Amino acid sequence: MTSHADQVSVRSAVLPLRPAAGAWLIARKETGELLLSRRGLAWLLVVAVVLSAFALLLVSDTELGLLDNAQVVYDMVGIVIGVGALIGVVAGVDAVGGERERGSLVPLLLVPLPRGALLAGKLGGIAAAWAMTLVVALPYLWAVGSTGQNLGHAVAALIVLGTPVVLGFGAFALGLGARLRSVPAALNAALVVLLLSASPLVIGPGLRRTTIGAAFDAVNPFSAALNAVDAVVIDGERLAAHALAFCAVAVWALAAGWFAWAGMRRLAR
Amino acid sequence: MTIRANTRPGGDPLLELRSVAAAIGGAEILRDVSLRLGRGEILGLLGPNGAGKTTTLSVALGLTAPSRGSARVFGGDPFVDGAAVRARLGALPEGGGFYGWMTAPAYLGFFARLHGLARAPDELAERLVQVGLKPSAGQRIETFSHGMRQRLGLARALLADPLLILLDEPTNGLDPRGRREVHDLLKRLARDGAGILLCTHLLDDVERLCDRISIMVAGVTVRDAALRDLGGGPPADAPRGGRFRLFLSAAGEGRPLPSGVSLVAQEREACVVEIAGSEMPEAAWVEMMFLGWRVREIHRIEDGSSPLERLYLSLTDADPARSAA
Repeated sequence: MTSHADQVSVRSAVLPLRPAAGAWLIARKETGELLLSRRGLAWLLVVAVVLSAFALLLVSDTELGLLDNAQVVYDMVGIVIGVGALIGVVAGVDAVGGERERGSLVPLLLVPLPRGALLAGKLGGIAAAWAMTLVVALPYLWAVGSTGQNLGHAVAALIVLGTPVVLGFGAFALGLGARLRSVPAALNAALVVLLLSASPLVIGPGLRRTTIGAAFDAVNPFSAALNAVDAVVIDGERLAAHALAFCAVAVWALAAGWFAWAGMRRLAR
Repeated sequence: MTIRANTRPGGDPLLELRSVAAAIGGAEILRDVSLRLGRGEILGLLGPNGAGKTTTLSVALGLTAPSRGSARVFGGDPFVDGAAVRARLGALPEGGGFYGWMTAPAYLGFFARLHGLARAPDELAERLVQVGLKPSAGQRIETFSHGMRQRLGLARALLADPLLILLDEPTNGLDPRGRREVHDLLKRLARDGAGILLCTHLLDDVERLCDRISIMVAGVTVRDAALRDLGGGPPADAPRGGRFRLFLSAAGEGRPLPSGVSLVAQEREACVVEIAGSEMPEAAWVEMMFLGWRVREIHRIEDGSSPLERLYLSLTDADPARSAA
């Protein structure tokens, strides 16, 4: 054991960890948890099973001539964003609420890092979960879209528009996990908001043309992303022409990030 | 924020709480808590369940802001100067969880890096040996027993060679040897100059380790005293329902004992029984005879409770919550 006199000189010689380095360490830990823990691997398996089921359904529809290739790719992109947001919500609630429930949050709060670095690390973990989802999804996208002309544009739209949507839902869920002391309550609240937002995937274009549907579309990040994906994949428009849609999902991600930051700041034991 | 080094024994306290009140979820848990911990000192924080010990630790750790009073750690405000304070502080919180998918060295390495310390693998292994965990170094933490997790939590708390160590039930779940090892380790750390706040229900731990005690009841500090000042011998105001030892000659192998009576030692007919929670300990031998014991002679009755136990029982007997129950 270091003597106390030594200890003082050793401590004064140690440089404090830069917040960015701390955030990187935490993001790596979160990624490791996703890849090495049973819980993380189970969620990746769920992603693969869901995407397999939808890919099979969509390929069958294409074979039967019920859907054209562009429509199938558009549907698949929407499903990947939906599944990614679901994983983001689970990872977000688990990042703080789950750790608090398992008792591992307090040791993390006691490291000499600002809360912003902890938040950045946790969001890095959510980004890693989204990256894993994309890696799992790419073969399915190829399977349903390789015979058409728009697969590359679809993947680009998925990454550019899907990433802020998913990170926004992850940050929103993280903020709920930090504020609510119950993990089931935080998860339920986050899932209700996610299902409401993702409803354009289900309700179809007819209802979305009504006044209520249009108003809902205007504030819904999911709608902004899907409308732009629709234009790029089905109508063949350029992705750059949809900067407004990107701004809408970016605003959503920033607002959710602020919500998470405010939750982290008031986080106690 | 600049943390004062405080390298002189008897200088500024490492931790000082003054008339602290704090609420969690709208409920006021702490009403008036004061304590002071200096270098090289081990302070035992005692109190019944719900007295606010864990919340007191939480205030000291900067995780809960006091609504009244002041909390100072190394002269700074732990809630405002959190990162700077936490760099020199080690803590074993209550019910601390772990990342079950990690091994113990990976876990310690992760926290060492978060503290900005580049601990070499052999140094981490040394830390594990210090808490008796080396044989388990290759196992995932999810396979660890409660006691092993407790040891790992202690290793994590000591990782950054902290000046101030806050421990919530550190010997909980440890076997007798492990407990002794932790006692020796904490004594050594205090000798090296660290200040240790020990939050526990085990009065035996407090008697073996602590220089001072602070007793809390219902969120209020009711006694802060040096352990040696508690003295020995039965006090005039000994609480009702203490613990006594009855030395007698009796035979009755296999016979049951009355409620609240336990056999401490027996050799032939020389027998020692401990009587807990009785106002008339001398009556225990009569009850033993009813249960078939052949009591031949009563040698003596001793008050078996320690001065600390008597003080604790007398102070916590006044706890309004307990009285109401």
